[in-house]
Amino acid sequence: MAAEMENHDLLPKLMQNLDRHLIFPLLQFAADEEDASPDITKAKFELLKTTNMTDYVAQLYCEIEGAEEPPKEYATKRSEVLARLEKFEQDTEKITDLLSREDVVTSLRSDKVANLEFLKKEHDVTIEMVNVLYDFGNFQYSCGNYGAASELLYQFRVLSTDNDKVTAATWGKLASEILTTNWESAMEEVNKVKESIDTKLFNNPLAQLTHRTWLLHWSLFPFFNYEPARETVCELFFSAPFINTIQTACPWLLRYLVAAVVTNRSRSRNTGQHQKQLKDIIRIVKQENYEYNDPVTDFIKALYIDFDFEEAQKKLSEAEAVLRSDFFLNNSSDAFVEAARHLISESYCKIHQRIDIKDLSARLGLDQDEGEKWIVNLIRDTRLDAKIDYKEGTVIMNHPQNSVYQQVIERTKGGFFRTQVLSAAVAK
Amino acid sequence: MSRFFHGDSSSESSSSDEEELYSEEEEEAEQEASSEEDSDDDDNDSDEDSSDDEDGVKKSGANRFMRDADSESEGSSDEERAKVVKSAKDKRFEEIEATIKAIENGQKINDWGSISTEFDKLNRQVVKLVQTGNTPKVYIRALVELEDFMNETLAKQKVSTKKMNATNARGLNAVKQRIKKNNKDFQKDIDAFRADGNAFMESDEEEAPAPKAKKSKSSSGATAVSMDDDEGFATVGKGGKTLQFTPESILKHLRTIMESRGKKNTDRTEQIKIMEKLYEVAATPYQKVRVLLTLISTRFDSTTGVQTFMSQEQWKAAESEFGTLLQVLEENRDLVVVEFAEEWEDDEKAPTPGTNEEPLKIPGSIVSYVERLDDELTRSLQHIDPHTAEYIDRLSDEGVLYNNIVRTLLYAEGLQKNAKLEIPQDSLNRVVMRRLEHVYFKPSAVVKILEENCWKAIPNTLDSAITARGDQSDATALVNVLCNYLFVHSEGIIRARAMLCQIYFLALHDNYYKARDMMLMSHLQETINAFDVHSQILFNRTLVQVGLCAFRAGLVYEAQTTLQEICGSGRQKELLAQGVMIQRYNQVSPEQERLERQRQLPFHMHINLELLECVYLTCSMLLEIPLLAQTGSSPDIKKRVISKTYRRMLEYHERQIFTGPPENTRDHVMQASKALAAGEWKKATSFIHSIKIWELMAKPDEIKTMLSEQIQEEGLRTYLFTYAPFYDTLSVNTLSSMFELSDRKVAAIVSKMISHEELAAALDQVNSSIIFRKGVELSRLQSLALTLSDKASGLIESNERTLETRTQGTANAFERQGGRGGRGGNRGGQRGGRGGGRGGGAQLPRQAGGTQFTGGALGAAVRG
Repeated sequence: MAAEMENHDLLPKLMQNLDRHLIFPLLQFAADEEDASPDITKAKFELLKTTNMTDYVAQLYCEIEGAEEPPKEYATKRSEVLARLEKFEQDTEKITDLLSREDVVTSLRSDKVANLEFLKKEHDVTIEMVNVLYDFGNFQYSCGNYGAASELLYQFRVLSTDNDKVTAATWGKLASEILTTNWESAMEEVNKVKESIDTKLFNNPLAQLTHRTWLLHWSLFPFFNYEPARETVCELFFSAPFINTIQTACPWLLRYLVAAVVTNRSRSRNTGQHQKQLKDIIRIVKQENYEYNDPVTDFIKALYIDFDFEEAQKKLSEAEAVLRSDFFLNNSSDAFVEAARHLISESYCKIHQRIDIKDLSARLGLDQDEGEKWIVNLIRDTRLDAKIDYKEGTVIMNHPQNSVYQQVIERTKGGFFRTQVLSAAVAK
Repeated sequence: MSRFFHGDSSSESSSSDEEELYSEEEEEAEQEASSEEDSDDDDNDSDEDSSDDEDGVKKSGANRFMRDADSESEGSSDEERAKVVKSAKDKRFEEIEATIKAIENGQKINDWGSISTEFDKLNRQVVKLVQTGNTPKVYIRALVELEDFMNETLAKQKVSTKKMNATNARGLNAVKQRIKKNNKDFQKDIDAFRADGNAFMESDEEEAPAPKAKKSKSSSGATAVSMDDDEGFATVGKGGKTLQFTPESILKHLRTIMESRGKKNTDRTEQIKIMEKLYEVAATPYQKVRVLLTLISTRFDSTTGVQTFMSQEQWKAAESEFGTLLQVLEENRDLVVVEFAEEWEDDEKAPTPGTNEEPLKIPGSIVSYVERLDDELTRSLQHIDPHTAEYIDRLSDEGVLYNNIVRTLLYAEGLQKNAKLEIPQDSLNRVVMRRLEHVYFKPSAVVKILEENCWKAIPNTLDSAITARGDQSDATALVNVLCNYLFVHSEGIIRARAMLCQIYFLALHDNYYKARDMMLMSHLQETINAFDVHSQILFNRTLVQVGLCAFRAGLVYEAQTTLQEICGSGRQKELLAQGVMIQRYNQVSPEQERLERQRQLPFHMHINLELLECVYLTCSMLLEIPLLAQTGSSPDIKKRVISKTYRRMLEYHERQIFTGPPENTRDHVMQASKALAAGEWKKATSFIHSIKIWELMAKPDEIKTMLSEQIQEEGLRTYLFTYAPFYDTLSVNTLSSMFELSDRKVAAIVSKMISHEELAAALDQVNSSIIFRKGVELSRLQSLALTLSDKASGLIESNERTLETRTQGTANAFERQGGRGGRGGNRGGQRGGRGGGRGGGAQLPRQAGGTQFTGGALGAAVRG
């Protein structure tokens, strides 16, 4: 079981597409799960070695080596970092001052070139100063001061006209927002990045693919941590360019998409849309089955492609375990199991006419009384045409059939109206 | 005999030229005759004539291929004649005499029309004899007599007032011109005859046998340098000089040979002989290279006919010389053979290699040589009967050829490295492509052996940058490396071909998904029609291979859709270039047919067509039989046909009054289909299993197990479709024992059918049985009502569409809202049924994906 669990661990795959700083929470989570094994500490150390978070790195070093005092190099590095910090602060002092002054900010317009011109004229701000903002933001980010970094990059973006740097700044800001768990602005950044991918890279399909892959991975953070973002991110994932990206570059993200779709079930007001998403995800899971499968996608496959309910049940319990050990999904694992049960019983009821309550409860992993309650709730929620035969201990479904008359009426329904519109159009 | 005469006669002998020439002349003559009755301007006429003649010769000289073909046929006919020399000659004499008689008859009644035609005939007949050097005396006599008669007639005409009729006048004119021209050639003989007619005729009898002997000698000993036969040729000096081959004179010899290249009457066998000797005396590498370059191209020149191929000895010789050439070049890195080098003009002294590291460039193309070698081998394999030992013998030369290709590749790479030479990337790509083409269709074990042998044959000092020595162990890696190289460095057709080769290889080695993804990502199906026919054929082959791969992987649906377009067309042979179809309506001109024959693949590259058909039919059966059962019970579902070919065969099979035991693959599949339709899956399985051709697949037993599983499942589905109306309930246990499937599997299949609304039923979990819903069967009135409503909505839709096209889409805003609801409703009901064949709505996009790459090179592929 443990080995199998390892197989479903997506960490290595995810890491390739995340920033150093973004990987850190994942590692932290893994450390919490496994009681901080030295391997993970080491991994953390390697991860942060190149960043400017010298204090923490030094601490990690001590932990690994069991040393009391961190070696001197860390101290020197620390002072270096501080010196640079100071220098950056001096360099940007003027411009940050300016940008915090009310009168200056109010006179800024949406036109970047004009703004720069204005600042140059009024306050002799040079382009170099603006670029220092970028470097400083980068530095702050590297030090782990995400809030400050975000602010600096924002200021930079307002003023700079350098497209490449603006894109980089947008990415940086997204990361900072994610790390400060400022989800609302993170979502804004996600949209900005998406736009820039669509517009700036349209003639470079490969870069587009990699950038989209990154964006997909990064947006996992708001996806599962910020409730209102769920819908939008889900739509983002399902939009044609991104679903293609998932299929070609990172099929493992299907797990998250499946989880999101399944858990969205109770949440989404629009059942039609949910049905469509479910259909799409079934199709994609089927298509990608040869490239990627884990218990979560297997669950969908067993339930909707093979109609093997026993298998689905088995996969559901496996999937639960997988979800619990997943950084992004461990919060929603309960919701997932709940929603998955709904899906199972829904399609089970659709196919069966008479169901043994005991059997169904077992199938859902509940005892009989609970099962009965569950079924009653289900009948109420979904307005199934079903009755419980208490004496026999069965549920009897009544499948209303689509009568022929109804069909004929359906087909000819809009005829008159359409003809009218038609004749009106002809008369015009 | 004059030199001029000789050259001229040979040009006349060239069959196609001759005709051209004649028809032209005739036209000319006609024109003149009709335009100017007055026939005084003889001089003018003859002038025109001779210029015309020259034109003809020039033209034939310019057109190299034409000439080659001609000389070819000439040579072969010569040989033939040598065998039956006596009777043929006699016959010819008889013919000539008969013609002369006819001319005399014409003279008697003054019918110039017939004289003219007979005279033409006579000239044609005599040509063959003239060529061999002995002009028949009878012919000379006839010429003289005719000329006299003509002059007489002309004189008569001048004085007489009565005009000749049009045909006669035209004939007379034609003869006059022809005689003028013709007699010039035979002037000596004619003079001799005029001087003493009788004596001349007498000598005839004695001389006749003599040239015969001479002739047979020269033709039989064609390879021998026969001096006296060469007399009168432009290349007369050759024979004398052959004795004094010295290293100094090599270049001069080569020049003369080069200059005679493309000219008539060049005796290539002799040239080859000379060059072989030249090579022996060649001292410096430069000379060797030059001799070899010329020698190899002369060897190639010696067989340029379209229908023929290089003989094995010639090929082998060319191959070994090519090997030597490469060796010389490898040893002397300061000599390079490049395509656009300048010709070295000075014959007297060999150029010295440049001092400042600049290698000496020699014009030529190694790559083209190896390509030509490859082509010649393919051509000979096309012509040899594949079931003979000769074929296998010839096929073993492929290994040698492959060595040469790899070695050329190494050489080309070496040149490439030298940036100063500015070698175009193109040539390297071509060699890599050739190498790939020798590898892609072979199983990896074979490739491995090929590679190992090849590297053994290549000197240790050489290594390749693209495919390093020692990497050859894995065929997949090799193909991958070669393809990637081409992806990066080439474009257009070569790139597309490389892609196809890789897909083919992947499919051959059971990497279905990879092959399919590559096929889809290449987007070749959209552009393949713009490619040349060879690439289209490769595309078709690849497609078929992907289909077969899908079948081996048990993906029946994918296999069927992939193979559909090739196999459903009934023109597999043509599309795969594995045979020429018999043309029923003569839509194809001989020219096209010849091209098609040229495109045929050698036998060892063929994909087994019978196996292909078997796979296709089996897949079609597995898809069609449940569908037939489904549509059979409910008439309102539109009749959907998956495979027309299969349906047609099935219908034909059902029409038969008596069906005997199955004999061929098709019979087996048809009888299995019948059994499957009746629910007898076991019988169907045994029919399918008894097909012998499965043994040709890699793992026949696995295929058979896969097939029986599929048959079990499809049998169950068919059974349910067919017999559902007759049951109220049906126990799952019964079904599972009937089809020998597990309960769970049966339940899963039934659930799937219910969920996709293919089956109006529900499961009863308590009794584990299927309960069929009643009242699903529609009465006639009901189904008609449904059809009517369908038609009505169809009518509205088409009206809307008409309006939309009329208004150019400006009115489209109005209708969609109302329309979609209605349409969506009625489609929804059917979708389950339509897509249900293989898994409902979820299947539809895949279906599109599956068919996508079959949208390619069909009809056009062969018509090209």
